[in-house]
Amino acid sequence: MQQEKKKGDFRVVNHAIPRRDGRAKVTGRATYVSDVKLVGMAWAKVLRSPYPHAKIISIDTSKAAARPGVYGVLTGNDLEGINPYYGHAVKDHPLLAIGKVRYVGEPVAAVVAVDERTAFEALEFIEVKYEELKPVLTHDEAMAKDAPLLHDRVFEAGALRGFEGDTTAGKGSNICQAHHIQWGNVEEAFKNAAAVVEGEYYFPMTYAYAMEAYVAIADVNDNGVTVYSSAQHPFMVRHDLKAIFNLPVSQVRLVVPFVGGGYGSKSYTKIEPLAAACSWKFKRPVKLQLTIEEAMLTTRSDDALTWMRTAVDANGKIIARQAKILMNTGAYAENSPLVVEKSTNRCVGPYSIPNVQIDNYSFYTNTVPASSYRGFGCAQVTLPGESQIDELAAKIGKDSYEFRVMNAAKNGEEFFPKMRPFEGSLKQDLDIAAKALRWNEPAPKGRAKSIACSTSDAGAYPLTSTAIRVHADGSVTILTGSTELGQGSHTVLPQIAAEELGIPFDKVHVMSSDTAITPYDRSTGASRTTTLMGSAMIDACREAIQQMVAMAADVLKVKTEQIQVIPGGIRAGEIQLNWSQIISKYYALPDGEVIGRAYIRKAGRFAQIPVFWETVSTGVEVAIDEETGKIDVEKLVTVGDVGLAINPALAEGQDIGAATMGLGTGLYEELVYEGSQLMNGSILEYRLPRFKDTAKEIELNLVENQDGAGPYGAKGGGEGSLNSMAANIANAVARATGVRIRHAPLTPERVWRALKEQKAK
Amino acid sequence: MMPLRRFTIDQPKSVKEAAEMLAHHGENGRLYAGGTELLLAMKHDLLRYEHLVDVKTVPDLNTISVGNNNLHIGATVTHRAVERSAEAREHCPVLVDMEHNVANVRVRATGTLGGNLCFAEPHSDPAALLLALGAHVHVAGKNGERKLNIDELIQGAYETAIAPDELMTGVDIPLAAKSRRAAYMKFQIKERPTLGLALVLDVDGGNIKSARAVVGSISPKPARSDQVDKILAGSRADVEKRLADAAQELAKVADPVDDLEGSAEYKRHLVGVFLKRAFIKALS
Amino acid sequence: MTDVKQIVNLKFTLNGKAVEVDCEAEETLAEVLRDRLNLTGTKISCEVQVCGACTVLVDGLPVSSCTLLAYEARGKNVTSIEGLAKPDGTLHPIQQAFIDEFAFQCGFCTPGMILAAKALLDENPKPSRDEIVHFMDGNICRCTGYVPIVRAIQKVAGTLESKHHK
Repeated sequence: MQQEKKKGDFRVVNHAIPRRDGRAKVTGRATYVSDVKLVGMAWAKVLRSPYPHAKIISIDTSKAAARPGVYGVLTGNDLEGINPYYGHAVKDHPLLAIGKVRYVGEPVAAVVAVDERTAFEALEFIEVKYEELKPVLTHDEAMAKDAPLLHDRVFEAGALRGFEGDTTAGKGSNICQAHHIQWGNVEEAFKNAAAVVEGEYYFPMTYAYAMEAYVAIADVNDNGVTVYSSAQHPFMVRHDLKAIFNLPVSQVRLVVPFVGGGYGSKSYTKIEPLAAACSWKFKRPVKLQLTIEEAMLTTRSDDALTWMRTAVDANGKIIARQAKILMNTGAYAENSPLVVEKSTNRCVGPYSIPNVQIDNYSFYTNTVPASSYRGFGCAQVTLPGESQIDELAAKIGKDSYEFRVMNAAKNGEEFFPKMRPFEGSLKQDLDIAAKALRWNEPAPKGRAKSIACSTSDAGAYPLTSTAIRVHADGSVTILTGSTELGQGSHTVLPQIAAEELGIPFDKVHVMSSDTAITPYDRSTGASRTTTLMGSAMIDACREAIQQMVAMAADVLKVKTEQIQVIPGGIRAGEIQLNWSQIISKYYALPDGEVIGRAYIRKAGRFAQIPVFWETVSTGVEVAIDEETGKIDVEKLVTVGDVGLAINPALAEGQDIGAATMGLGTGLYEELVYEGSQLMNGSILEYRLPRFKDTAKEIELNLVENQDGAGPYGAKGGGEGSLNSMAANIANAVARATGVRIRHAPLTPERVWRALKEQKAK
Repeated sequence: MMPLRRFTIDQPKSVKEAAEMLAHHGENGRLYAGGTELLLAMKHDLLRYEHLVDVKTVPDLNTISVGNNNLHIGATVTHRAVERSAEAREHCPVLVDMEHNVANVRVRATGTLGGNLCFAEPHSDPAALLLALGAHVHVAGKNGERKLNIDELIQGAYETAIAPDELMTGVDIPLAAKSRRAAYMKFQIKERPTLGLALVLDVDGGNIKSARAVVGSISPKPARSDQVDKILAGSRADVEKRLADAAQELAKVADPVDDLEGSAEYKRHLVGVFLKRAFIKALS
Repeated sequence: MTDVKQIVNLKFTLNGKAVEVDCEAEETLAEVLRDRLNLTGTKISCEVQVCGACTVLVDGLPVSSCTLLAYEARGKNVTSIEGLAKPDGTLHPIQQAFIDEFAFQCGFCTPGMILAAKALLDENPKPSRDEIVHFMDGNICRCTGYVPIVRAIQKVAGTLESKHHK
């Protein structure tokens, strides 16, 4: 734990310093990939499958290819010479459909033309003959005895750590991934329980809806592959592109400028292989910019149908939890196998439960492929988990907040076998939430309150490297593979470097996410950047300082032991030198630099997984219009147990942002399929949270006990307050009306119907 | 991006010239005003036209004026202009109130009231209210002008009685009498209203002399019936007791179907909720 | 689809300066700004006039430039995000307030959000919270949960009550 300084001691860290990217973003000067043009650049547009499951009999591209301005049309038949399959878990995903389409919207062909309009206009001249196959659309259909198989071969494993490529594809079923955890004796515990609640819950498919749709510009030439992309994880995309083009890592370059929102949806490889294949085939740079509606046909989150039961003993202690989860993963695995693993683990919640059994299965279906989304499977299982906490409390006549406190995992407790002991102070968090909601006072008529909490075993895998360059004028460039998605890495990382080097924040600048320049960072997701890249930043600064101490000793002709590090430089006896003076004297010119490096791996303070527990408590007060079923959130409370906020304003911004997304899935958001057709694949019908939905009263709290493994005791944040929101809404509705709704989102009609059914009873 | 397919824009200088241009283009041409509905449909390739005839270049169609009996709103007047019109506020406050909540601020700045009616998108706020207010539209073509009430104008979803070579020139809305009480209320979750309910009452003390109730957005065109209006006339106390009957009858006329906005059953229920709310609001 | 290409010779005032540009009739204002005039601060997202990312001001009114024909700008005053700061780099008070209140994260909605806020404050310098919400409701932000944006607008209006960060 890097925790020498205590809260209150910090000069730059733990201050709400304005965003480094502020000026660029408010003046329109921030560059996103959609703003980039290359010389000689062509445009691609994609023809998509109208069928959920069909054989491609033939594709005639001649008419489209003959149109003026069209350079060519790429199909699955034109990919000889490259390895067209990719995927993070398993390489099951062709960059264009090959022989078969597996969902409505799957790319079948790409027109490359002089401009976007020409490419678009050529699409309708491509003639594709299909032979329809029986589609598999739901968990039930996927499990049916005579279900058609989506995939009938075993795939090579992707880059997902610890995952052996053991999907069941090709093994005679549509199960994409299964995951199980078990400890204690569940059957015995339920037999001896004083009270049990049991139920089936559904959490829908959702879309993360980043405002910037997927976009990539690829330039494939004799020097290798260069791709500008809106990817969150450039190094992971590099991994896929390297294999597709059979190139050494050094010949694949991913460049990621500012990204217009990700929330997990831009994790891992998306459209980069297709853009690169177009460039490869037609020998020019190619830009592929999806529309939002196409983006909604590219990725979604897994839904989850969860059967769960939870038991207490006579003292109100939770003694057992069991769940069986079925998830719909769509046509390709993407990162869903990890979502399956994480949602399995996150069923346990932040509670100390001696008997646990969770069984989780995800299924391939002929729908849009599912993958990561902020919270990573946690929201899906926190709806059942936190609903049952309230249901149990009500059943045994306990206050739900006190019931949570009583069962909360304690700091240092190994509540999840073989994992890092719990690091956090859940009781303190819940107390803050209760106080903010005035839990002891009754809610006004027509309103109700709810408190809920969650903890996530962070998906952040510790493999990170970084370098900082201290220049001869004393300014610093950080080289980081962490992508600025809006979360604030361009602000937080310089804060840490400025703190460590004892220099002003303004002297530190960031160069990020160019795999040819910035050192390897596994990903930008799972709330990992502050904890892992932040720790690397401290190490790199300290390594640079060590080098500069040695240089100073050399220059001053003293022993390094005689040198004392002071903020911004060193002291040796009477002499003080700042970093600029040391470097300039060392090189005997006002030029040159010192490079500090750091490597983080699964060792030392990050030996144990997860590298942190992301723990958040949330609370709401809602008003319910019983005539229409419409719910308004009147008050919102978040309590982020973040260890230390490197930038409190940014940490709070993450919490309210995630909570708002959580309210979206709690109240409105769901992707609706009618048969094989996505019915609401547009913002006209997919209802996102808006200004109108914001709570009038908001209280954002950070708990800073410096108890994490990250820099100065920091832990990750930014996902947690999403996870318990749907449960909060359901719990508040139950408290207000006595009706328990186990199906998210709690749309007006769903609430109205539930109330009506209750009245009929 | 979704590019628009190529088209040309004509700039008529008179209603007659516009009608001639439309006649000339036939199925390949379409009248174009604010474009807030038309261009979206064209971007999505749901509609294709080679020629747009810009009605905004016809002079004098963008005015709001008060006549003896009517508030006249020209065909190219934007939602925003109605929303901010002093004349409209004075003579038809319910219209201003409705316009204030149409779509969003950008759509209101460019979209026109006339365009909204002519596109006949079923989730139209103005169509429901104007039908309740007894408004009518003026339609001009090569062969002269005719007057249609809203019920005649809107034939169904995206269908109007305006011929391909005709154009709407404006809307006339009866001026508010002292005895008129009106309210428009909507229930909206997504981008378009799930349900809009317009209620216009003619009152004399505690007596409702006549009523006109319209439900919009739950059927291909706004729905009303004489039978419903009859139930809603009488002493206030009696009408209040019959509101549920009126709502049931109105829902029956509208005959909603299940769709993404909600089930038919839910929409029928909402008719009752919002008829009651509109009744209270109109008389408050 | 017609093969007749109609070129519109477009003259308008952009961010206070006269511009003249030839475009095709079907080009949107966003296309002309981004592709012909290389002003990429205007962002394109939903393309159905719902999200507001492409908001620019035409004669002071907010419009969706992704579906407004460039043709409609003829003779008008267009303000894009690039026109807000002073030539010496001083930010417009709304831009500064967005930075001070952390009213953006990814920044993709920000140009449209700031221009919508400008249109609001130009016609209503002291809007209530409800008026802010009503006016801004057609602009979507996925990062911030909107609260800091409301605060930024209130800050410019002088109606922000509590200090957030010291």
